[in-house]
Amino acid sequence: MIVLEIVLLVIKIILLIAILMGGFAYTMLLERRLLGFFQLRLGPNRVGPGGLLQPIADGLKMVLKEDLMPLGADPFVYRLAPVISLFTALCVDAVIPFGAPIHLFGLTVTLDIANPSIGLLIAFAFSSLGVYGLVLGGWASQNKYSLLGGIRASAQIISYELAMGLAVMGVLMTTHTANLEGIVLYQKAHGWLWLPQIGAFLIYFITGIAETNRTPFDLPEAESELVAGYHTEYSGMRFASYIIAEYINMITVSGIAVTLFFGGWLGPWLPPIIWFFIKIGIFLFIFIWIRATLPRFRYDQLMNFGWKVLVPAALIYFLGTAAFVSGIL
Amino acid sequence: MIAFVILAILALGGGVGVVVARQPVHSALFLILNILALAIFYILLSAEFLAAAQVIVYAGAIMVLFLFVVTLLTAGKDDAEPQEGLAGQRLTAGILAVLAGGGLAVLGVLYPSQSIPFGLPPNFGNLHGMGLNLWNQDFVYLAAVALMLLTAAIGVLVLNRPQRRQHRAGVKGEDS
Repeated sequence: MIVLEIVLLVIKIILLIAILMGGFAYTMLLERRLLGFFQLRLGPNRVGPGGLLQPIADGLKMVLKEDLMPLGADPFVYRLAPVISLFTALCVDAVIPFGAPIHLFGLTVTLDIANPSIGLLIAFAFSSLGVYGLVLGGWASQNKYSLLGGIRASAQIISYELAMGLAVMGVLMTTHTANLEGIVLYQKAHGWLWLPQIGAFLIYFITGIAETNRTPFDLPEAESELVAGYHTEYSGMRFASYIIAEYINMITVSGIAVTLFFGGWLGPWLPPIIWFFIKIGIFLFIFIWIRATLPRFRYDQLMNFGWKVLVPAALIYFLGTAAFVSGIL
Repeated sequence: MIAFVILAILALGGGVGVVVARQPVHSALFLILNILALAIFYILLSAEFLAAAQVIVYAGAIMVLFLFVVTLLTAGKDDAEPQEGLAGQRLTAGILAVLAGGGLAVLGVLYPSQSIPFGLPPNFGNLHGMGLNLWNQDFVYLAAVALMLLTAAIGVLVLNRPQRRQHRAGVKGEDS
């Protein structure tokens, strides 16, 4: 029985990584094509039918590229940094339930790798480690643009993580649990949380965009001022690791938003897991839409917005939710 | 037990590395290793919340701030350290540390305290237990620490507030 469980766990881990990698590849293609349409051009549509094989071509190109390292770089940290990014990005998804438990050959299989009682906090713990990849990569490259990108990343993520944590606390207090499956089950009984927690949801989504370093918060890699920021010196698969991590982080932020505010896998008619992927897809579309629409923040605007708007707003919403939950209001 | 030994080696290695490493960034990395090993220790004690809080607060926030400062200050400096002002201070510090630690261990074995509680209290370190501790019996300390941190934060703001301009003209450049 134990052997069976271990085999099952390994299969689930491999499946999750495969799904995330596939998800990354096609999110990237989706983004390039959608950006094309947003800008009234076609986007990559030549490789395979409708450009569907483009990710494979891109992957091949990345693998075949030369792996460069600057002369003054710190070799160990330089190699470690992209690994940290990719590792933490993949780990967060281990606690997200992708669907209701399914019954297979008399076995009950939960669609998550682990279901700890504080799954939400574990997800936050891993995602808070992700910034090391950026900071260390920027530092180890011995390039002033990389360094500036890394420093920006650390300041930005520290600032926005605070508001993100405060926003999520509201959900925690409403559902009385930090278990992600428990939060979904609460929404099954009491309705989806996005409406009662609309302020928390908006703050979470804005900070989520900032945490994934997407436009308009892509200050760490601002290509018009810092070349490419923290990954300026990276090439080949190490560069690809950063990009994969960024897109997987997008999927993760969407997945957590769906789980916390939009009922996770809940939905009529279709199988639960399909609903989960549909909802994630909608969020990814919004991510890309925002990228195509909004210009980048200036650095002081970013800091002002984070500390003077988002943190107080999150705090007020948090206190309001606390008052409501405890019955004072 | 195996897990304990591996983690202990990792944690100790991290601790030694912090002191030994030449590059401040490497020291910070070793400290992160130490913190993560401690977090897994908490998980072994089934104190999940403590583990998550350890990672979020120390590894996720405080060490990022450390790295922020360290990368900012050590950028472009070479590894060559200036000559130490106090000769042999590393050796002395090491000997003193070993003596102090060894002495404490010997004292602990010679004079065991009367009641050594074995096992863990119920709800040790999980969300429920920590909440009960913090908001029931230890609430005074929690409030005191919160007040102290708030004072510190406000103090920083007050000390760093921009000087009131005496002569507005003549000073160009934007105020941040």
